[in-house]
Parts: sequence; structure tokens; C-alpha cells
Amino acid sequence: MGLFTKEIERAPCTVEISHKFESLHAHVRFNNGAVIHPGDEVQVHGPEIMAPFGEVVTEDREATIIRASKIEQLWTRMTGDFEFMELCEFSFSEEVTL
Amino acid sequence: MNVQAKHSADASTAEEAIAIQERFDSTAATELAMQNTLLTPRFYTTDFDEMDAIDVTPVRDDWDSLIDRMVSDPNKGHFKKNEDWDHVDWEGMEPELKKEFIDFLVSSCTAEFSGCVLYKEMKRRGSNKDVTQLFQLMARDEARHAGFINDALREAGVAVNLGFLTQKKKYTYFKPKFIYYATYLSEKIGYARYITIFRHLQEHPEHRFHPIFKWFEEWCNDEFAHGEAFALIMKSDPKLTRGRNVLWIKFFLTAVYATMYIRDHQRPRFHAALGVDPDWYAHEVFTKTSTLTRQIFPITLDIENPRWQRGLERLQRANVDMAEGRKQGGIDGRLKSLGAQMRAAACFVDLYTIPAKTHAVPASTRLEPAY
Repeated sequence: MGLFTKEIERAPCTVEISHKFESLHAHVRFNNGAVIHPGDEVQVHGPEIMAPFGEVVTEDREATIIRASKIEQLWTRMTGDFEFMELCEFSFSEEVTL
Repeated sequence: MNVQAKHSADASTAEEAIAIQERFDSTAATELAMQNTLLTPRFYTTDFDEMDAIDVTPVRDDWDSLIDRMVSDPNKGHFKKNEDWDHVDWEGMEPELKKEFIDFLVSSCTAEFSGCVLYKEMKRRGSNKDVTQLFQLMARDEARHAGFINDALREAGVAVNLGFLTQKKKYTYFKPKFIYYATYLSEKIGYARYITIFRHLQEHPEHRFHPIFKWFEEWCNDEFAHGEAFALIMKSDPKLTRGRNVLWIKFFLTAVYATMYIRDHQRPRFHAALGVDPDWYAHEVFTKTSTLTRQIFPITLDIENPRWQRGLERLQRANVDMAEGRKQGGIDGRLKSLGAQMRAAACFVDLYTIPAKTHAVPASTRLEPAY
């Protein structure tokens, strides 16, 4: 990892999207053991994956991981905590007026 | 499979649920003219090694009984529509109320969904059995809640779109202890919010304009249990609630309460339809949350101090001005917004510096939902 430079890597991944009454979820798992660090960006390639209602869709795809530079990683570590309000949702969007 | 579940909400495994769903005619999939709402959950990463090092030995008995209860899954099968799910007159609903209510449902769904993503990630990255099991169970509950809200949204003609995965997303970072404070508070305040509405509507059923509120009691018991687990994690390491960390706890309490106050005041029609005064509601929820958080936090905010309510009202006004300035645009708008931002910061400092109430924390944290 460079101090200022980003590195880009490709990783095979499995995407699971559940659009069911019993469970609404979506997860990405990297199949080569790649690990995400603070500040990294991930994009799954290919068309949008849509699961019709009542179904679970699992697809093998390829993802690009844009690794944060050392500086950016440090920055995300230092400042990420201040975005904590995202964890405390209050069942309303941030829009002041609708 | 000896006993066949009829509804996917009764399924105990994912495979079983899939099988049930496959039996359904896929007419369910015909989503005609649905309004499309893209869910935008956030993605987090944390210090997984530190989280893996959690040792629940000091609270082992309480931990095991809590996990056993979650494993027994008392709410399995609860989150589905039954005869109590009355017909909803979406067409007849006042448009402004409908807008705010759908915003409420979409945001709730996003929150449950983000919780699910976060918990699942922790489950996957950890190797400590206690911790991974807890996160797996919580992810299950959150996904179930999200599915239930999604169903209510579909009825309103709103389809959630899970296509965000193919968009570029950035992972932000939280220290484990901030995850504990924030999620603990978010689960406990969530419980207080849901139960306050539920009890209010029990007394005033004429204000129950949608059947989903009838499910709030069991729903919030899940939130309560999740909060209990985080309380035990914090109890297992006394440093987390001592010394300088008490200042962090005060910060989180102030920020969470203030955010709730502001957001609720942005949705007047929703609260009017429920017959709830947002100021009364906020005070009620803060009182309940403060009582609950005494189980683990050595301080509570002095919400009876006159500076508290005054500060919240000023903060709310500053927030409205900030948005107006942004909308207005141009130099004037920007100046207005900047001024409001400074006022908001000053209000927050004022709220934060109200002396907190301190008290002794009980030896055992465990609580049962009692409101």
C-alpha cells in the first residue's frame, strides 16, 4: 500500500440478496479471502442484481476493491467515528421537509 | 423437515424458507407500477481483532441466559400479517401524512437493514464464538424486521430496491467502543420509542391509522434484548464505562437525544395523526431511556433542567434555518446556513455542558422490558 497512491484489485465474490418477507438482506462475500480496510471502496460489477419479491438470488460476480492509500486509511480511522449518528437511525430521513 | 411451516416467517432455516417461498406462485413478483426506492445502507468496518478479544467470562451467567432466549427465538413467526392486519386505506390517506408515513417506513427499513449488514459483517469477521453467535442472532432479527416493513411498503405501492451493491460504496471506520455506545443507545431508545407509541395507541386506538403499530410490542422486545447484549459487553470490560469514557457516554447521550428531537419535529403530520405531541413524546422517551441506561452508564442527562428543553428548541430552529439557507442558495443562503450552523454548534455545547446526574451502577445489568 502506498502512502498516497491507491491500489486497485479485483476479487471474485458471491452476492446474496434476499427479498423475502421473512428476511430482507444483501451481503457480499469475497471468495479469495480479501479483507476490507477503512477507507476502501468496493464495487460489484455487472448489471444491478434484483431479487423479485419472495426470492433469494445468489450470484457469483467480480468486484473491484479500490484500496485506500495509507494516508486515507489513517484519515478514515481518525474521522470515521464522527459519522456515528448513522448508526442511530430515528425512523425518519434527514430531509428537513418532505 | 418434520413439521412443515406454512409461512416463511415460521421457517427455522434459510433453506426451509426458500422452499416455502418457491411454492408460492411467482405472481408475487409482478411488481406493476411500483414506486422504486433505493435502499442506501452504510458500510462499516472496525477493529475486528479488538472485538474478537471480548471476554464475557465476568458476565457469563447473564450472557448465557440471554443468548439461550434469543436462540429459542420467542418472536419466530410473529412478524407476519394475520387477521389483526386491518385494511389500510392508502388512497384515502391525506397525502402529506402518507408522505411522512412512507418516509417513516423506508427509514425504519433502512435502519433495520443497515443493522443487519453491520452485524453480519461482524459475525463473519470474528472468530470468538460468543461474539459471532450474538451478531448472527441480531442479524436474523433485523432482517426479519426489515422484511416485515418491506411488506407494509409493498402494500403502499413502494418497492425497495436492493441494487445498491453494484454501486461503488466506501467503508467507514468505527472504534469498537463507539459501536457499543451507539448501538446500545440506539436499541434502547428504539425500544422506548416503539413501546411509548404502542401504549399510547392501546389507550387511543382511534389514532392507530395503520396496523403495523400493533406489532410494535414484540418488535421492541427484540430491540430490548439487543440492548441487553451490548450492556453485558460493556459490563465485561469496566474501562468502557469509566474515566474519560464517561465524557464519551455523555456525548453520545446528548447527540442521540438531540437528533431524535430534531427528526421527530420534522414530521408534524405523522405525530398529529398518532395524537402525539412531539415534545411530550421526546420527554417520555428520554425519561424511559434514562431509566434503562442506568443499568450500565454511570450518568444520565438532566432532562429536567430548564436549559435542556430550551436548548433543544433552539437547536431545532437552527436546524430549520440551516436547511432553508441551503435551499435558498447563493451568498445570502450560504451565509444564513453558516450562521445557523454556528448557532447549532453553540446549542449543542450548551446542552452538553448541562451537569449530568451521577449514580451508582448496579452489580448485575440484566433488565426485563417493563414499560
